[in-house]
Amino acid sequence: MSYRIGVDIGGTFADFCALDEATGHLSTLKVLSTPQEPGREVIAGLGELGSRFGIKPQDIGYFTHGTTVGINSVIQRKGIRLCLFATENFVDVLELARLKMPDPYHLMSQRAQPLITRDRVLPVRERILADGTVDRPLDPKSLREALDEAMVLGAEGIVLAFLHSYRNPSHERAAQRLIAEWAPDMPVFCSSDVWPIIREYERTATATIHGYVQPPVARYLTALQAALKQAGVAAEPMVTKSNGGVMTAELGKSACLQMLLSGTAAGVIGAGFVARQAGQDKVLSLDIGGTSADVAIITDGTPTYGTGEMVGDFPVYIPTVSVTSIGDGGGSIAAVSAFGVLTVGPESAGSTPGPACYGRGGMRPTMTDAFAVCGIIGHGNIGYDAVTVDIDKARAAVATVAGKLGRGLEQAAEAIIQVAVSGMYREVGKLASRQGIDPREFTLLAFGGAGPMLGCLLARELGMRRVLIPTAPGVLSALGGLVADVKNDFIGTAYYPLSDAELPRFKADFDRLAQRATAWITQEQKFAGSYVLQPAADMRYQGQSFEIEVPLQLEWIVAGDRERIAAAFHAEHDRLYGHSAPETPVQVVSLRMVVVGASPQPQFPAQPRHDRPPEPLKQIEVYMDGAWRTVPLYRRAHLGHGHVLASPCVMAQEDTTICVPQGFSGAVDAYGNILLTLDS
Amino acid sequence: MRIDPVTLQIFANHAQAAADSMAYTLFRTAHSTFVKETEDFTTGLATPDGMTFASPRDLGATWFIGLDYANAIRLVADYRPGDICITNDPYAGFVCTHTPDLHMWKPIFWDGELIAFSVSHIHNTDVGGAVPASLSRQLTEVHQEGIRIPPNKLYAGGKLNQPLLDVMLTNVRMPEQNYGDLQAQIAAMNTGERKVHDMVRKFGVEVFRQGVSDLLDLGERQARALLGRIPDGDYFFSDYLDEDAPGGVPVRLALTLKIRGEEAILDFSGSDAQLQSSLNVPTGGAERHILLMVGYTYCLYSIDPSILLNGGITRPARCVIPEGTILNPKFPAAVGMRSMTCGRLQGVTIGAFQAAVPELLPAGPAGSSAIMNVKTTDNRSGRTIMASIDPITGGAGGWSGGDGADGSGANSSFLKNTPVEINETEVPIKVLRYGLVPDSGGAGKHRGGLGTQLEFKVFAPNTVVTARNRDRTRFSSWGSNGGKPGATSGFWRNRGGNDEVDLGNTDVVALDPGDVILVTACGGGGFGPPWERDTKAVLFDVQQGKVSVQSAADDYGVVIRDGAIDETATAARRARLAANAKSAVFAFNDQREAYEREWTDANYAALTEVLASLPVNWRHYMKKRIFAALAELPAHQRRGDGSEVRRAFELAVGEFPQLRPAQAAE
Repeated sequence: MSYRIGVDIGGTFADFCALDEATGHLSTLKVLSTPQEPGREVIAGLGELGSRFGIKPQDIGYFTHGTTVGINSVIQRKGIRLCLFATENFVDVLELARLKMPDPYHLMSQRAQPLITRDRVLPVRERILADGTVDRPLDPKSLREALDEAMVLGAEGIVLAFLHSYRNPSHERAAQRLIAEWAPDMPVFCSSDVWPIIREYERTATATIHGYVQPPVARYLTALQAALKQAGVAAEPMVTKSNGGVMTAELGKSACLQMLLSGTAAGVIGAGFVARQAGQDKVLSLDIGGTSADVAIITDGTPTYGTGEMVGDFPVYIPTVSVTSIGDGGGSIAAVSAFGVLTVGPESAGSTPGPACYGRGGMRPTMTDAFAVCGIIGHGNIGYDAVTVDIDKARAAVATVAGKLGRGLEQAAEAIIQVAVSGMYREVGKLASRQGIDPREFTLLAFGGAGPMLGCLLARELGMRRVLIPTAPGVLSALGGLVADVKNDFIGTAYYPLSDAELPRFKADFDRLAQRATAWITQEQKFAGSYVLQPAADMRYQGQSFEIEVPLQLEWIVAGDRERIAAAFHAEHDRLYGHSAPETPVQVVSLRMVVVGASPQPQFPAQPRHDRPPEPLKQIEVYMDGAWRTVPLYRRAHLGHGHVLASPCVMAQEDTTICVPQGFSGAVDAYGNILLTLDS
Repeated sequence: MRIDPVTLQIFANHAQAAADSMAYTLFRTAHSTFVKETEDFTTGLATPDGMTFASPRDLGATWFIGLDYANAIRLVADYRPGDICITNDPYAGFVCTHTPDLHMWKPIFWDGELIAFSVSHIHNTDVGGAVPASLSRQLTEVHQEGIRIPPNKLYAGGKLNQPLLDVMLTNVRMPEQNYGDLQAQIAAMNTGERKVHDMVRKFGVEVFRQGVSDLLDLGERQARALLGRIPDGDYFFSDYLDEDAPGGVPVRLALTLKIRGEEAILDFSGSDAQLQSSLNVPTGGAERHILLMVGYTYCLYSIDPSILLNGGITRPARCVIPEGTILNPKFPAAVGMRSMTCGRLQGVTIGAFQAAVPELLPAGPAGSSAIMNVKTTDNRSGRTIMASIDPITGGAGGWSGGDGADGSGANSSFLKNTPVEINETEVPIKVLRYGLVPDSGGAGKHRGGLGTQLEFKVFAPNTVVTARNRDRTRFSSWGSNGGKPGATSGFWRNRGGNDEVDLGNTDVVALDPGDVILVTACGGGGFGPPWERDTKAVLFDVQQGKVSVQSAADDYGVVIRDGAIDETATAARRARLAANAKSAVFAFNDQREAYEREWTDANYAALTEVLASLPVNWRHYMKKRIFAALAELPAHQRRGDGSEVRRAFELAVGEFPQLRPAQAAE
């Protein structure tokens, strides 16, 4: 017996997926998370796995895990006390950021206070120029002064971020060595190590967040390793990464920056797995939980990647599964303005007190309460029995809004849902224009606790014809961690023209990246399976101020096929911007290499076809599309391969409720996924 | 309100999605770096009458809420599906306000009926004319500011008007860029059309029409309710640009904000006469011209961010702008640099609103952002390089709830900087310093934001640095409710060297290899008495290097010794500062106070009156004569009651008998 376990820890719940490698059977579980004592929920969940499913710790052959410890340190500002050593006369890099204010129409708009305030930014005399040459050598005396000052300021760590260190890291490295001599216990983080990109704010901010969360994350991972060992889990724990991959927890202690957005990324990886399984090549994933609603674009099972994703108030410039927030989830609060305008969010009841119907002290109406009033939820406990829905509390909360709107209770509830959906429509519309896609060609893959409740409604608004609901929508991030590949990104600075003369350098630089990538996966990760190297280059037209990442083929580089490489750039430019200029010289800004070691993909057995129609649990009264209707309520566990569903109907399962309004027809596929199609 | 509020909110979300999607489409497909870096463009949806009812929130310039296309729309006849109209003529319809802004509007039909327009504009880097980039303070006629396309169909029924396009592209310096950006604009217009069609399919054409009208009505109702909470009264504020032309005398912008119940009159009488430089703001005298309303929109939104940002909010307001003045110039006055005047005008509007509701709005913003450009030669390749390197922005004003943002903010919030590493990589310069200017923020209980500074060295002969929109060398931002004004800005060549030159408000400077330029921005004004600022906040400012120990003691009364607050000395000093306090809503810098001792309100009233009696083309000339005459006046002859202005005027007019009949005719 061997199990693969995926765990994802969110704000309210810790989700567990356990895959029986022999049978392909997947068991799922949720336990309440313990933010005050991170890690305790993991051990609690392992206990539950044992008592419910008979999975013993020693049977666990593979363990992956996503955590919010890092991102919470940033949001709650509970990271370590850092000092930043910056090039003299450039100490305001974090204060100024890129100048632009969060709300440019607001005269009092403010940027977030930096994680390192100006009093803890200390100048160091040194200067490297744009071409990497040393203009002024590192002055050890000024470094020593900065260190002494940092000690006085109580620094628990030092970020080194000098100008042009992406081009020439020697000053940061030299400073790191000197500090190691003078203060051997002081953690030091070099911007050229963390992620060596051009643009001083972006690089410095990224290194700062890294340093800020590293000690708490490392402490957490060490504790987790010990707890797992004590519990009898022999497998080396893996952690999920923002880039959608996994790495060993041991490495996570030093590469913690890469796990900050691991939860959302793992959800998208899980969605990509389901999309492939269900044969959907263009998918928009919709992950709605209690406090957030996120979408991602998945093409042929592969998510879109981006940089500059937000961690709390700050952007992080490492390759990350690109996820766009489109709202505030089931806890979004509804309110009516003095002018009779109904708004939903951005204020949220969060996980505490949560929606009124959770009976934990929330009084104000939320989107979840609106669904309760409409009769869509509340036919049993939700969240694996963690929550009992109190319809009366929901009705009382929604009544406050109904009164102001001059509408009946259920009409008001439906209005809350419609307004929330139109807000999500607005954000998805923006994302589509930004990415240049047409949502109508896509399938909406709805997951998270509230995604399946809203999926069809949002699809209808967006003109999307298909909605896919995975078998376990509430634990898709945990599943994503389970199926994620071992993966890492490498970057090298180039800054030369894409020309025949520079080709040898281009090849040599890629060789070095390939060596680093190979060493990482075979030596650091001790990965024994097969792996691939995926090269890419950030390129632009000479004189352009922005570059684009262009995927390349290893054989083009090996063969020195400049024309194929250039053609790939022109084509990508044309795809993104609608134009290209093949006669204009091309500049290579940086080189990238991704190494991917394929994880064994679970082979879920196809279910036998059902030839009898599904049996509803009962008929329920729900308010949908402006009227009370009697609709069948199905238990998801009773639905299987070949079942066909007519709308309207509601399906309940342990981790979510699926709401299917009039106009959709459903079919359950061989793996238990439900595909809902809008009738034409 | 005619459709139900829930449908309206859903409708509002769809309209917002359309406007933002247009902006994202334009931004994604635009060619020029200028569009990508400065986001100087906008998109939107307008009613069949031309009033914008949806504007993007995420991207683009923030000046165009309620842009009215009506007059430009009327100048084109017979709209049909597939038409796209353009103009960049600041004197035809007053939608376009300087030649680089290419505006477009596309009629959107449903069942043969015109139901809306999609609209957009892009600031093109160059549209030809006397100088590269088409903009310079010293230009005197709009004809020097590049090719002008009067409102015209670029596409008629989907068919491109190639001759028009050819003429346009023949007359500009970088036709490929303009053409590329034009394509992006067209893509955005088509996105808008598609989104409107989707909305009609969803809501029905009746609800669409009604929804548009209701959104504007709702904006109006919100604005009226907000204005209704402001006490009735006349609230005056004025401010200055340092120079009305290169080396010139100040420009005065004045506003009397008259709050009457739920309505506002913005009376700009007392603002300067039309200029013989390109600082004029072309409005055509429209009562709600967009460039006059930007500050108004900022103020309303800052007081209540739940207000809808659409043209409806401008309806309860009306502007008074006499013809032949800087805010209503007559053709063919040059207007290219109107953005510099507009920046100050926004501050004047903020000041007038602040006079009415001091607790709800911030003290003076820096209000001027120098756009720095370098033209130089790369010594290695011999190539000429021209690049925009950074906006040098100042701080926001403090307000009753907190400090002003450092480095930018208030009405400069939309600008982005260029990383030092990018500048040094693309332009052969070496940046010596980039950061905040200590002590530049106005002292206050809530401190004004610090300005930024940039210092760089050039390496080739014949290097030209331009500092467009640079100002505030003389008159700085104002403090309010006891807060102090911010520090002035500065511009130097080789500061601290033997050959130091104070460049003042110069905006074009030629440099030799090895020269160093230092440019600093003004700080924001402080709010509330500085000696009431939390002493810990003052100490933290000192620890951060934002305020010096000297200023902490002098301005804030906080005595810091060896890094700690000396409580006894602080208490004594604070008591002394409080005892000597002057009570006034606004505090201006010394230079402005000195200037206004000479140029009093009465003198300005006289100046406004006498210049208005002249033909427009004489006004700026005569203003200069009167300023020169007053400058010569011995101190004991100054009364400040307007008499010296009238006397100077009479003397000057006496030299020109040809003026008499003209003056009588006016």
